Amino acid sequence: MEQNLAKLGAYLAAGIGAGISVIGAGLGIGKLASSALESSARQPEASGDIRTTMIIAAALIEGVALFSCVIAMLLAIK
Amino acid sequence: MEAEAVMSNEVGQHEAQGAHSTHSTEIPPQEVFPVLLGTLGEHRELNFFHYHIVDLPVILYDKEYGFDIYSNIEKMKESGKYVLSTTHKIVKANKPEETPTLDLSVTSLVCFQWLAMIILLVAFFRAGRKYKKQPLKPPKGLQNVLEAIFVFIRDDVVLPNIPSRKAAYRLLPYFVSLFVFILLMNLFGLIPGGHTATGALGTTAGLALTALFVINGTAIRQIGLKNWLKHLLGGAPWYLFFIMVPIEIISLFTKPFALTVRLFANMTAGHVVLLSLVGLIFYLKTFVMAAVAVPFSVFMYALELLVAFLQAFIFTILTAVFTGLAIGEHSEHSHQIEH
Repeated sequence: MEQNLAKLGAYLAAGIGAGISVIGAGLGIGKLASSALESSARQPEASGDIRTTMIIAAALIEGVALFSCVIAMLLAIK
Repeated sequence: MEAEAVMSNEVGQHEAQGAHSTHSTEIPPQEVFPVLLGTLGEHRELNFFHYHIVDLPVILYDKEYGFDIYSNIEKMKESGKYVLSTTHKIVKANKPEETPTLDLSVTSLVCFQWLAMIILLVAFFRAGRKYKKQPLKPPKGLQNVLEAIFVFIRDDVVLPNIPSRKAAYRLLPYFVSLFVFILLMNLFGLIPGGHTATGALGTTAGLALTALFVINGTAIRQIGLKNWLKHLLGGAPWYLFFIMVPIEIISLFTKPFALTVRLFANMTAGHVVLLSLVGLIFYLKTFVMAAVAVPFSVFMYALELLVAFLQAFIFTILTAVFTGLAIGEHSEHSHQIEH
């Protein structure tokens, strides 16, 4: 019983945690993409540089989200 | 693609049961996902769909037994030292809950990694020999492809991010090989019957370990050990020493750790989605599900093709950016003059 409860808690925590982290990452990448699009529309000649910087920043945001996914996975597997 | 490889393995098993029904290993619906996701490409034998190609050696090290090398998993079971548990893990025969200290077995992922290395060595040596023989002849065929990749890495990844031009040219071979090696390993997973070696934490951790040494080795070589240690202070006044130094030391290791997890998670996530989509057909046991699952998996496959290139690029460019940051502004002026 107690073990089942612990398992339930772990699954619940994993699901909710992964969901929240996805909200954060989605907001972050969305905001990043919108401002990158805006700035490359204003200054099309700098779009190459902007794209590279955007990809790097997106990767960094994604990295944080992936950390939380790994935590969620560890919780779920245990 | 691993999804298809694993599924066809199972289909093969089901067909075999239909024909012979010698042993019943039919997978119940609730076991489909654990079976599919449990292995994810890491097998102790080399299979092409359900054709068995070769057994791979099992190499184990244990404090109690020492080194043991078996030519395949059956030989290991015969030896009586280790057995397979119900979850397909190698455990000690006398203590079922204990695993060997080190499992250095050659798995299918290692084989695909070797395959990538061999292909790259052959391709690059061939192209390199052509340049040595006739340096002024325009490139042709394979040489052209490699030159395009090389120029892309040089002009878009290494030179803009590493401030010192001398260090950039010294590190260029590392970055080029990093990119093509990761790219090839990623793409192997998209070939039917292939496996993604970068979908294992060990591979990506090894790659990130080289990045750790390159980042800090270059920094120490370019700016000197004294400046590198000063960099650990983060430019803060001396009384913040106790806070800054631990943070900076941790940040040295979080960068490669993030590289490890990013590549691993991106490559695994795609496979998990594909396997889950295809697994739904077997879980629900209807053909109707295939009408939904197959178009979605084709879409995911296309997305994975993009991710394979993107992640190889991101790993390379982030290593370059971190190297540039570690070198810092000490050689910023020369960089601006040169550009």
